[in-house]
This record gives sequence, C-alpha cells and structure tokens, in this order.
Amino acid sequence: MSRLWYLLPCLAIAGAGVAATNDARQAATPVRADTLRFVAHDDYIPVGMPSRARPLSLTNPFEGNRSAIATGGRIFVAYNCVDCHGADGSGAMGPSFQDGRWRFGGSPAEVFESIYQGRPEGMPAWGGRISEEQIWMLVAYVRSVAVGDLTTENFTGLAQERMGH
Amino acid sequence: MRRALLVVVAACACRGESERQRAADTAGVRAPTVTGARIAAPRDGPAGEWGMPGGDYANSRYSELTQITAENARNLKVAWAFSTGTLRGHEGQPLVIDSTMYVVTPFPNVAYAFDLTQEGQPLKWKFRPRNSQAAIGQACCDVVNRGAAFADGRLFYNLLEGSTVAVDVRDGKQIWRTRVANLNRGETITMAPIVVKNLVLVGNSGGELGVRGWIAALDTRTGREVWRAYSAGPDRDVKVGPRFKPFYAHDRGKDLGVTTWPADAWKTGAGAVWGWLSYDPELNLVYHGTSNPGPWNAEQRPGDNKWTCAILARDADTGELVWAFQVTPHDMWDYDAVNENILVDLPIGGTTRKVLVHFDRNGFAYVLDRATGEALMAHPFVPMNWSTGVDLTTGRPKVVPEKATAQGKKITNICPSLEGGKNQQPAAFSPKTGLFYVPTINLCMDFEARPATYVAGTPYIGASAPEYAGPDGYRGEFMAFDVTTGRKSWGIREPYPVWGGALVTAGDVVFYGTLDGWFKAVDAYTGEQLWRFKLGSGVVGNPITYLGADGKQYVAIYSGLGGDMGVLIAGDVAANLPHDVRVRGTTLPDIGRWTSWGGVLFVFSL
Repeated sequence: MSRLWYLLPCLAIAGAGVAATNDARQAATPVRADTLRFVAHDDYIPVGMPSRARPLSLTNPFEGNRSAIATGGRIFVAYNCVDCHGADGSGAMGPSFQDGRWRFGGSPAEVFESIYQGRPEGMPAWGGRISEEQIWMLVAYVRSVAVGDLTTENFTGLAQERMGH
Repeated sequence: MRRALLVVVAACACRGESERQRAADTAGVRAPTVTGARIAAPRDGPAGEWGMPGGDYANSRYSELTQITAENARNLKVAWAFSTGTLRGHEGQPLVIDSTMYVVTPFPNVAYAFDLTQEGQPLKWKFRPRNSQAAIGQACCDVVNRGAAFADGRLFYNLLEGSTVAVDVRDGKQIWRTRVANLNRGETITMAPIVVKNLVLVGNSGGELGVRGWIAALDTRTGREVWRAYSAGPDRDVKVGPRFKPFYAHDRGKDLGVTTWPADAWKTGAGAVWGWLSYDPELNLVYHGTSNPGPWNAEQRPGDNKWTCAILARDADTGELVWAFQVTPHDMWDYDAVNENILVDLPIGGTTRKVLVHFDRNGFAYVLDRATGEALMAHPFVPMNWSTGVDLTTGRPKVVPEKATAQGKKITNICPSLEGGKNQQPAAFSPKTGLFYVPTINLCMDFEARPATYVAGTPYIGASAPEYAGPDGYRGEFMAFDVTTGRKSWGIREPYPVWGGALVTAGDVVFYGTLDGWFKAVDAYTGEQLWRFKLGSGVVGNPITYLGADGKQYVAIYSGLGGDMGVLIAGDVAANLPHDVRVRGTTLPDIGRWTSWGGVLFVFSL
C-alpha cells in the first residue's frame, strides 16, 4: 500500500508528460508567443525528466545579414559590450565569442536571451534598455566572430618570445 | 618630440651606468647608496610578524629579519604549501600575527587562519562570506583582493561586492558586516584596508565603470561609518575646509572638484580609491591615491578633473583634506595615481626631509614633502615619451603635444602604456641601502578615443588601446632605484611585466615573483640572482617574511596568475572554462606557454 502511494505522483507526472507531448504534436508551428515556456540550454543544462513543453524556437530576422552584422558590431562598441568581451569579441572580463563556444547556448534564441535578461556573474539585462531589433543585430554580430577551432594550441616549433632573464 | 627622445636617451644612459655600478658592487663594494635614510613609521609590533598589508604604516615592505642572507639564500626550500581553492589573481599578501597566518582569497573572498605552531599548519578556522555573484562582472580587472588588516583581535577585509567585514580571530565568527559600496553603480572593492586608531579605512574600485570615488572610515567595534570623503564634487563632499592648504596656487579655490569638470561630469568621473593606504602617526595624516577620471576619452571631460590621478593627504580622524597633489591633471592615458606612497625620511640637499615616495603609473618617481605636498623631485624610472619632465614650480608634467590622446585619432607609440611604468604591485624600501626595489612594466600603446555612453553598471571607457613591448623588447624590469638622484642602481629585465610586489630584508635579500611563475631572491646591493624557484602559476602577489613558532625565518608568496595583466591581457591562460577558450594575447603572446591560472600559497625556509 505504502509503495503505491509513492508511485502515484510519478504516474501523474508521466501521464501529464504523455499528454503534453501529444498536445505539442498537435500544435501547429510556429509556436505562438503566449504558449512559449522556456529556451533550451542543451549545452549547459542536461536533460532530466522528459520535457513536455516545447522549447522556444526563435529565428533571428537578421541571421546572415551582412549589413546587420556590421551594425551589430557598432552597437557592440557603443553599448560598452567591447569593454567586457574584448576587441572583436576576443574575451576580457567577460567570455570570448571567438571560440564559438557558449556557456548558455549559442543558438540565436539562446544568445538573444543572454543579452535580453542578463546572466549571473555580471552580464547586465539589456531587455528594455535597447530595442529588440538591436539585440538581434548583436546576436548576429557575436555569432559571426568565431575564428575556428581553438581546441588545440600547439607550441612546438614556435619561437619563444622572451627577452630578459 | 626631440625633447621626448631625450628622456628615452637619458633612461638608456642610466642603464649603462647601472652596469658599471653593478661591476663595482660585485667587486666587493657593499655600501649604502643613500646614507641616513629611514622609514618614517617603522612597525611597532614584533619583527617576526607581518601585521599590516605593507608591513608597516609607511608601506616599506622592509623586514628586520636576518636569518636568510645573501650568502645562504641559495639553500631556500619549500617548507609547506596550501591550495586556496580559488583560481584567478592572487594579488595582496598574507598577515602573520601571534603564530597565526591569515589569508584572504580572490572572489568569493574566503579567509583562512593557519595555526603555525603545529606541523602541517592546520586551519584554526575558515570564513566563507556571502558575496554577490554579480560582482564578478562588475570588477574591471579580475576579482582580486589585496589583503586584510588586523587590530585588537579582529581581522578586517573587503568583499568584492562592496562590503567590509570584521572577523573575530579567536573563532572565525563574523562580528560585523557593513555594505559600503553600491554594486549597481559599478562599485566593487579590491583594496586592502588599514586600521588607524579605532577606524578601518576602505575605498572603492570602479574607475572603468564611471563610479564616484571615495574613501570611508568605519568604527572597528561596530562597523558604523564615521566619515566618508569623495575624490570629486563639492567641497563639502570632498571634505575641503579651512585646513586644506595645497602647496601649489592652482590647487586652491572653491569647489574645484566641480569647477574643473563639465557640468555633472564629476558624478561619473571616477577617482576611485583602490590602491594602498599609508599613515604618518606624527602628522596624523592618511595618504591615498585616486584613480583615472572616467571616461578614458578625455574630450568628454575638459578641465583638470580634480581630484582624479592625485595623491591626497587627509586627517585620519575626520577625513578632512589637508593637502592634494594632482600627479596627472586631465589624464588622457589612464594613468591612475593609486600606487603606494612610501613614507621615508631622506637626506635631500644637505637636510633630512620628511617625504612620501610614489612610483606613478605615468613613469615618474615622485618625492613629495609629506607635510605640505610640495614636489621635491620627479625622475623618470622607465622609458617614457609622453612627457619631457615635471615642472617643480607648478608640480605639473610637461606634456608632449604629439602624445596627447584625442577622439577619432589613433595616437601611436605612447610610453608607458595605460598599465603604467608601475601598477598596483608595491615597491619596497631598505634603510640599509637607501634604495627602493621597484617592480616595473615596459609596455607602450596605441590609443584611440571614441565616444563613451554612460550605462550604470557597465564599463565607461571610450577608448581602445592595444599594448606591446616597449623599447628594447623586454616587458618588465625589476630594479633598485635611488630617488634622490633618479639613478637605477641595478635592473633585472624580465620577459613579462613584473606584476608582483617586492620584499627587502635586513639580510640584504630582495624577493619578488614574475608573471611566468618564477619566485626569486636577489642581492639588495648588486641585483645578483641568489636563488629562484618555478611556482605552479604566475605571481601577482607580494612576498612577506615572518618568524615561525620554531624560531625559523619563513618567506611566503601567493602563486596565482591574474589581475589586469593576468586575465585581461594574458589570453590563453585558463583551463577551467570549457565554454571560454581564448586565442593567444598580442601583448604577452607567449605567456600561456609558461603558466596558467592557479591559487596556491607557497612558504619557503632554509
């Protein structure tokens, strides 16, 4: 008897999950804003219970738009992003964007969310301070500065740059 | 331009001279370079303790201990070590009082108390304060902490988020905690406080975030704020009153903290108080520097911008300003004046003068009368080209017009760079040799100012300034300097900026660490290397020495790359951030080959 008591809530959750999955399949794409629940952070937060909510999937209206990327680069300087994230996004007190790696996810929606609502360790929330259009241009810019794979740094054969001792 | 070249040539000439001096010394001459010099406020506690951040109120970083000498230093060995559990820049130094060592880590600013009477140095306690995570991104230049102060059985130190805490050294319990800085306006705290009588003196950081700089005094018993003085603004806020008597006429007048700025610019004009504090008990004056003005783009703030980039002398009890000396009026290069002020009595022109010695970011070694603020001397101590010298009749530097920075214009090859000829890493002074032991930087920069927008809690800078090795290609030099003549006695060129501080002992040994992780002992007279040991991470902290419970002399140093140089400039030196992998930096391109982030206390003995 007592075992069944423990099982009941689990069954309830599992049942709800199935129902939600069915709902999501039935819902037409794109998902309407008022039904959005969260932004996925696949790189940062591992999957726990099977999710029944469909993640927010937003596309950047400026994705790949060269002139918007250039404008984003100017906004990056004008709103002081450069002073924390370094020239060309090379990293300073804030993380680098040149490595193409993202603590809170690198999809356009995830980067938008990082800028819009801020992040722990000092990233300010810019939502409401600058327009959503400007944030999307910043998203396009910071996703454009990656320099390639930085996994290995091989010092072999490099000249030692040392003067002194 | 021609005059600028002359300064560089002069600096080169004294290098040749130092080699001759060194040859003479190694031939057996071990005489003081300056005789009759003394530390103005020598420590009153036991010689075997290290009770204040700078060793004493004078900030001399001199110890009377003599067991470790130039003859036996080659026998130094690791005695013990301790991981602080934190990475990032370990600036500052431990304290040692009553056979207990106190260590404060970078954010989250944990304090450890080690029992030095027992083998293995077990902890008496550790103190893990709450500390706002948001502070990490508000700190311009790494999440460093430069150490604690001690008085009456209490340890006092600052948290990055802008609070000061008092901890009972018997049990590690918090006695009080006072929020003094406003994190939402970009204020953090990294400096080491000092205690004068019943007051703990603290100041804010945030010169790159458009804060308003201040120094405050808290009651040691309660944490209640007794006084607060701002670096800029109306006289009332700056604590300018009848006692204010600056030496130079242009520093006198009403509300200069307002009138030397465009309307309201002083409210976001920085002048933060993030450096070292000194105290002269006889004059009852506290000396502190102030940071750069904000933003770096100087065209947004015409005027002298008082009292940024200045040295201020305040009454310790009331905070009243007694004199002020603006080292770099209307700063255009980010030359903060927060470096330590070392209080010594020096023979100058046949008499002994009560002076304050200050190796400024701007490249000049200032000798000021510490009672009046008069500039007695200002010799360059590193290669420089932005100024042709200091006019001692006005105290102002003569600026080379070609090196004045401007908006939308790239000014190339300015020396020293914005890191300065020297930065927070403190120098040491030996009354035995009369010399100052100075960790220096040899970087130059290109500087292009641009409009800066003030957004509270974000950087307020308005410039880009890439840095690179200065003349001759080395990036730092550890030197022994005679401020009375402006001559270098000897110098050791280092591949990287020397970002760690100095210690000198009565055993005539000077200790310092390097950015690439070497901890060195050198001869105070000759600069000859006596011993060195490669630590696990670069050094940005300051060595101290003490007597253990076993009566032996120990030397302690933090190994923990970071700070402005070790985080912002270094590039590829972190390994704990899978989401943040960096390319080599251009200023110190090879540093990642020699060291990476760390956080270990090392202790050495014979």
